[in-house]
Amino acid sequence: MIKINYIKDILKVSSILLILFQLSCAQQKKRENIIVASAGKIESLDPAQANTLRTLQILSALGDTLYKINKQGNLSPRLAKDLPKVSKNGLLIDIPLKENISFHDGSIFNAEAMAFSLNRFRKIGTLNYLLNDKIEGIEVKDEFLIRIKLKKPSSSLKSLLTSVNLTPVSPNSYSNYKDSFNNKNFIGTGPYFLESFNSSQQIIKPFNKYWGEKPKNNGIYFINYSNSSTLFGAIKTKEVDVLISNSIDDIQRLTLNNMVKKDKLNAGEGYPIEIGYITLKSNKLPLENKKIRQALSYTIDRELISQQVSFGTREPLRSIVPPQLHKKEFLSWPKYNPDIARSLLKKEGYCETDILSIPLTFRSNVPADKLLALTWKDQIKRDLSDCIQITLNGVESTTVYKQLSEGAFEAVILDWTGAYPDPEAYLTPLLSCNEIIKNTCLKGEAVFSGSFWGDHKLQELLEKSEELKGEKRLNNLIKVEQLAAQGSAYLPIWLVNPKAWSLKNISQPEFSSNGLIILKNLKRN
Amino acid sequence: MSSKKELFKYIFSRLTLLPIMLWIISSLVFILLRIAPGDPVDAILGNRANEFARESLRIKLGLDKPLIDQYIEYLNQLIHGNLGISLNTQEPVKLIIAKSLPASLELAIFSILLASIVGYLIGFLGAVKPESRIDFSGRIFGIGTYALPPFWAAMVIQIIFAVLLGWLPIGGRLPPGAIPPPQITGFLLLDSIFDRNIEIVFSSIKHLILPSVTLGILLSGIFSRSLRLNLEEVLKKDYIEAAKSRGINESRILVKHALPNTLLPILTITGLTVSSLIGGALLIEITFSWPGIALGLQEAINQRDYPVVQGIVVIISSLVVMISVGIDIAIAYIDPRVSY
Repeated sequence: MIKINYIKDILKVSSILLILFQLSCAQQKKRENIIVASAGKIESLDPAQANTLRTLQILSALGDTLYKINKQGNLSPRLAKDLPKVSKNGLLIDIPLKENISFHDGSIFNAEAMAFSLNRFRKIGTLNYLLNDKIEGIEVKDEFLIRIKLKKPSSSLKSLLTSVNLTPVSPNSYSNYKDSFNNKNFIGTGPYFLESFNSSQQIIKPFNKYWGEKPKNNGIYFINYSNSSTLFGAIKTKEVDVLISNSIDDIQRLTLNNMVKKDKLNAGEGYPIEIGYITLKSNKLPLENKKIRQALSYTIDRELISQQVSFGTREPLRSIVPPQLHKKEFLSWPKYNPDIARSLLKKEGYCETDILSIPLTFRSNVPADKLLALTWKDQIKRDLSDCIQITLNGVESTTVYKQLSEGAFEAVILDWTGAYPDPEAYLTPLLSCNEIIKNTCLKGEAVFSGSFWGDHKLQELLEKSEELKGEKRLNNLIKVEQLAAQGSAYLPIWLVNPKAWSLKNISQPEFSSNGLIILKNLKRN
Repeated sequence: MSSKKELFKYIFSRLTLLPIMLWIISSLVFILLRIAPGDPVDAILGNRANEFARESLRIKLGLDKPLIDQYIEYLNQLIHGNLGISLNTQEPVKLIIAKSLPASLELAIFSILLASIVGYLIGFLGAVKPESRIDFSGRIFGIGTYALPPFWAAMVIQIIFAVLLGWLPIGGRLPPGAIPPPQITGFLLLDSIFDRNIEIVFSSIKHLILPSVTLGILLSGIFSRSLRLNLEEVLKKDYIEAAKSRGINESRILVKHALPNTLLPILTITGLTVSSLIGGALLIEITFSWPGIALGLQEAINQRDYPVVQGIVVIISSLVVMISVGIDIAIAYIDPRVSY
């Protein structure tokens, strides 16, 4: 009798649990908003502080930029009414602004608001040196016209105006944040407004008074998971609708790509904006010797590395600027050729008696770096063990960044994503130098990059490119890159395309030229 | 009366050690963080920000002051119960901890409950029937779970039950988009019960199952092994033999005589496991994206967010020290052999 009662009790509890579990499953089916998942928390929504892809992604939906780069690679107005008008001496840029645009707090977007946002960025922005190096001042010429005064002519400034970091914020809502970051809120002009924010989940909803094309969905939930496996599992189990590729391990990228081939998922891919490369410290022997650096540039079998590390998902790269930004096919760095490497090293006294020892540092918290380091080491051991020996050293990324400009690393694996889609956004941060003595950079971006390499001719060309336009400018920047390849202080390895996967009932993700998903175009089929 | 007085004296002496231990721990954390390479200014601004921006932020964060001044200010704030402001988010550290600590405690409590039930049951059965099939399987289970790397076990469990079978959610504390109940205790389950939000109650249980079962099973091995060994030893004691020879029935011997004598080591192990779990379930928290204090600590270390790291370490240390002192006191109270 007692046993039967027990069984009945167990059955009762089990049935209640089952019903409730079913209820919670049914709840998921009613999903109206689109859930977008990626790795990494968002600690700040302030465009002046934003520096992660995830933050820029959400800001691109909450705000608008003055201009965008269209599919043809040209500047196209967004908040601006027309293309910028540059004065004859190239020192004044007038930007007319669109009218009848309002911020999410109801205030009007005008030249005052734009100037406030630009000046705020110049004052507190993380990347403010990008503007401050070029801009003398910003003037409000009319209610809907701003004038940018330049220190010297700058053709790259236009591309800079497409940067999400320069999205305007409402002066009303940011009056208490002129000199400080507003981390938990964002009031812009974008197609979405921020409904709720915490570091692991952000909810954005369509802004009814948006001036442009309205979002095709009812809102986006941004969520984060702390590791690649969970992100991968989340889209496989349909817990999330869209998965952004940052921090997805290569093996899981491959599996997701295979699911796309089997028509189980949609995928969208943007232009590559991230480059992976090795920096060689060129102010100390043996790597001070250009011939040795050049020899090393012949030792990298990029195709093999791409296959071994990423199953071919990372495209081998022989330039330090993503190819689409040059608008033409060209490759500056040499192909893999161990024979040339050996002969160059022999001329410098290696291979016969001496073996060149290179300590290679990789960021221990970046899985692809470690695999790249191991693969290159093994490849050298296979092909050039009589000439080169690579020793590996894993260091956590925060420490690497801190010690880079202190010259702590002979050779270090790094990556770079330009702040805006222009060759200059890659060349200047890696190559620019303010003080050069005998090809050693003492002060400038090349020091922060850890290469300490400078070249007067290259510097001249880099500065000259600011005065040039169009084709001439691009050709000039190609020459810069060719000089950089001859210097061989950087060894480009691969390109990483931004990618996103979506469930079959969600539209294919589309990307902007900044490598960000156009969230308002996502819709449920 | 005198015994009670002695006990209070003992408790007092243990408690006076608490602030000294906390001072040592917090000072060590302060020094070690500053010695470690990496800079919070770099973590916030990136390594390419210009010198002016870097210096301005350094001044704003108080990192320009001499180290000794920073230390004195830190201790002064700590004494007044102020853990500081996060360098990265400008949020009070207290608030950050208040958000993440309950998540870790919730996970720890469920895991310990599960580990205790499973582990002690297996250990008990093994000790009662030594060299039997149950004992053999129990020993394999104990050694196996103890030897399993937590991240691997967590990933396998996640793949099987969340990805392949789809029975349970893959990670997090709530489904994406779910609005959490107003924070009263910070324990999602309790808060959703208080909020009478049945949907969130069951969602939170579903999200809790995988991480707590994984952690619970991994810990149950230690529990089963320790109970089995202690009980086996106790069962060989003379007073058990004497009880048997007096014809007392076996289950009474076990419950009344053997088990109470294994209580002390079990209490110690359980207590220490609880304290290690509060800050130490990092791999489980990472695998299941559980927004607990260990995950928060890891992120804060990566960002060199000194106040958050210091705050979390101080709070975890306080809890660990308090639990240890609590165990000492409980043992002293239960075991008349302990002199105080």
